[in-house]
Amino acid sequence: MDGELILALSGVTCRYPDAPRDSLVGVSLEVRAGEFHAVLGPNGSGKTTLVRAALGLVRRVAGRAEILGRPARDWSRRELARVVGVLPQREDNLFPQRVRETVLLGRYPHLSLLGGMGANDRAAVERALVACDAADLADRWLWSLSGGEYQRVRLARALAQEPRLLVLDEPTTSLDLRHEMELFELVRALVDAHGLAALMITHHVNLAARFADQVLILAEGRAVARGRPADVLTGETAAAVFQWPVVISAFEGRPQMIPLRKKENRP
Amino acid sequence: MRRWSVRTHLAGLLALALAACTRGERAPAGGGRTVTDDAGRPVALAAPARRIVSLSPSFTEILFAVGAGDRLVGRTAWCDYPPAALAVPSVGDGMPPNVEAVAARRPDLVLLYRSGPNATAAQQLERLGIRTVLFDLNRLEDLGPAARRLGVLTGRRAAGDSLARAMDSLVSQGPESPTPGPKSLVFIVWDNPPIVIGAGSYLDQLAGLAGARNVFHDIRTPSAQVSIETIAARQPDFIAVLSDTAARPPYADRPEWRVVAAVRQGRFLFLPGRLFGRPGPRAAEAVRELRRRLETAP
Amino acid sequence: MKYVVLAGAALATLAAALLVGPANLPLADLLGSPIVWQLRLPRAVLAFLVGGALGVAGTSLQALVRNPLADPFLLGLSGGAGLGAVAAIALHVPGPWALPLAAFVGAVGAMALVYRLGLVGGGELDPRILLLGGVAVGALAGAITTAIVSLAEATELRNAFLWLWGGFSGASWTTVFVILAYAPLPLGVLVAAARPLDLLALGEEPAQYLGADVRRLKQLVYLAASLLTAAAVAVAGVIGFVGLVVPHVCRLVWGRLHRTLLPTAFLTGGILLAAADTLARTVVAPRELPVGIVTALLGVPVFAFLLRRWTVS
Repeated sequence: MDGELILALSGVTCRYPDAPRDSLVGVSLEVRAGEFHAVLGPNGSGKTTLVRAALGLVRRVAGRAEILGRPARDWSRRELARVVGVLPQREDNLFPQRVRETVLLGRYPHLSLLGGMGANDRAAVERALVACDAADLADRWLWSLSGGEYQRVRLARALAQEPRLLVLDEPTTSLDLRHEMELFELVRALVDAHGLAALMITHHVNLAARFADQVLILAEGRAVARGRPADVLTGETAAAVFQWPVVISAFEGRPQMIPLRKKENRP
Repeated sequence: MRRWSVRTHLAGLLALALAACTRGERAPAGGGRTVTDDAGRPVALAAPARRIVSLSPSFTEILFAVGAGDRLVGRTAWCDYPPAALAVPSVGDGMPPNVEAVAARRPDLVLLYRSGPNATAAQQLERLGIRTVLFDLNRLEDLGPAARRLGVLTGRRAAGDSLARAMDSLVSQGPESPTPGPKSLVFIVWDNPPIVIGAGSYLDQLAGLAGARNVFHDIRTPSAQVSIETIAARQPDFIAVLSDTAARPPYADRPEWRVVAAVRQGRFLFLPGRLFGRPGPRAAEAVRELRRRLETAP
Repeated sequence: MKYVVLAGAALATLAAALLVGPANLPLADLLGSPIVWQLRLPRAVLAFLVGGALGVAGTSLQALVRNPLADPFLLGLSGGAGLGAVAAIALHVPGPWALPLAAFVGAVGAMALVYRLGLVGGGELDPRILLLGGVAVGALAGAITTAIVSLAEATELRNAFLWLWGGFSGASWTTVFVILAYAPLPLGVLVAAARPLDLLALGEEPAQYLGADVRRLKQLVYLAASLLTAAAVAVAGVIGFVGLVVPHVCRLVWGRLHRTLLPTAFLTGGILLAAADTLARTVVAPRELPVGIVTALLGVPVFAFLLRRWTVS
């Protein structure tokens, strides 16, 4: 059963101002409700640009980007924030704040200019905290959280927006094994239980292959492969994209990428 | 003239620290042409000064008063009395002194009133080999010693001493005759923020000698910033303004200034700058003029 | 509860400003006295309004440039105002409004110049360039001002600097009404921007993803905060530290959400400046200190205390 089409990119090409080359060339993507998509690729392959283009933050030179059937450019930032919840790579924390305060920020797209926080806003915050297993963190200071806890809180904030689509940009980069697994499990659970769509940019190819329904592999701004991990993640593709020899081994029906050591060192 | 006086008072405000330094000896040391100026420096001239640049209208007047006006070769733009001084070339407004213009007049003596910028200029002139003297010039009692020492430096000792005696006696005497019920006044030199004259200034002394009372006599410095309310609270009978015309100051029409009774009633004393703008040998005349205006004012 | 204390402090400060003064008025005469109505009351109200404006401007600017050490006068406005004032005096522009109007024009000119410098293509403002540009424009204006002062002969120029150091001695009802007519617009813009400013603290990109139109936000906040500051300088000279310290104090007590922070910053700034003005009038009576000096003397120890708390936490 196909879920509703949330995000549709078709032949998108973009270039940053004053950049010598296009950052994305003719990339297409369709994300539906209830699907977990992963975007893979080496550094500089255009993964973050893909997200920005999808959400109208970067000018498109060619192609279309639509969210819920409407062009991305037609969405105001507030409207978009009610539909898409994003965890960008970097975030500042200028002033000390508590967890509940920062999750509350996720309700801002729903608040009117003059209105205040209502009971349903506070309920949405509580639900988001519970869903991310962060309810017991609610009164802690942000600066006192561990890396894994911090990411769960940020995810709770995105959930408080009550979005249809979650976009996560390399959310596990500095997390240890346990927290990384927990995050992937959490996103999978949210997609399965609440019918959300998820788009995750990640370097962790193997976890993406185990958890995601679809992967998109980018190299130098182009889409090299798109589809189910088992179909798309082959040894040749991976070696060509990541420029390192690998072998693919299956685990629970999912391809797992194992990089080889340099030939000279092999016995 | 008004502006010169205002500058003096602001310069005096800044030079408070200097004024606290010890003063030089007043009497000339022994015979010959040696005096100690108010910066504590001994100034010795081999011969009476022949080419003098005066950087203060007060000194210009004193020079002419002791009969050494013909030795003046440079003056400031403000030096306009006596009329003979106008024939002497100007070396600028003197704030700060233009060292090159002064040196171009090839003086053997330069007269400056004591202040921070003038001390620096004096140093620069000394480096060029030009003798300088720094005299205090805030209050009337500074005039006598200045006259005396200028008499020594110009070889007009008798005239200098005589002028000094006249100035000293003016200061030490009280008002010529007691006034029936002293009137009070305030000297306002600026309106935003309000700046008034205090006891450190010769204007305060002129008022006292004319039988009037400066309502801000309790302020030790030559000038100070106060609020309109303070002026109103002290209820001066008159507002003294240094001005060559009788035009009402622009602030007199503003509602907040009209809380001051004297402003409301238009009781202004317009004191011409040429007589009141600086302390000088004509101080007695200034006192008489002020007294006359006070008595004839409605 | 904290709000009650704040409101109480505001009333108490205003009352003190009305009761205290060199004129020693008996309580019974207070209501009828022209000294109270024409001098103390407009002065207290003006000090309160200017302090409030500076408090709000400082809070918004710290959020905009994402730097807790920003002060409204970092953006070159004081230099521009000084240049305007000095130019007006050197050119002998007549009229009682010449000085404030020229200072305002100078400040707005500086604002426009810094804005132009801060544009980095596509109408996007870079807050870091705003700060650097502000320092540069302020220095340039200061240099031109010094040149004018050294070349021109008018003594009034020296007095212009006294005015520029900050003071409410010229306060009048007209000035109060001008500020009351002018300030609500920029204040309204900033209060409306309160929630987007909360988001901006996360960074420009995260703020956009949470629904803030960051491009327009930066433009509006910069213009509104600068216009408030320009009016404050035009009316009262350069009064430092209020815009820097008040936001920090308020954040300590009320947290960082701007919906609460901006109104409390207004009240706190008003209280601080009205109190400072009362002190300036009374501490060296019968003389007066320029208010800018009192706020600096009060502000520096408070600021040092805040810095310690900051680094400790």
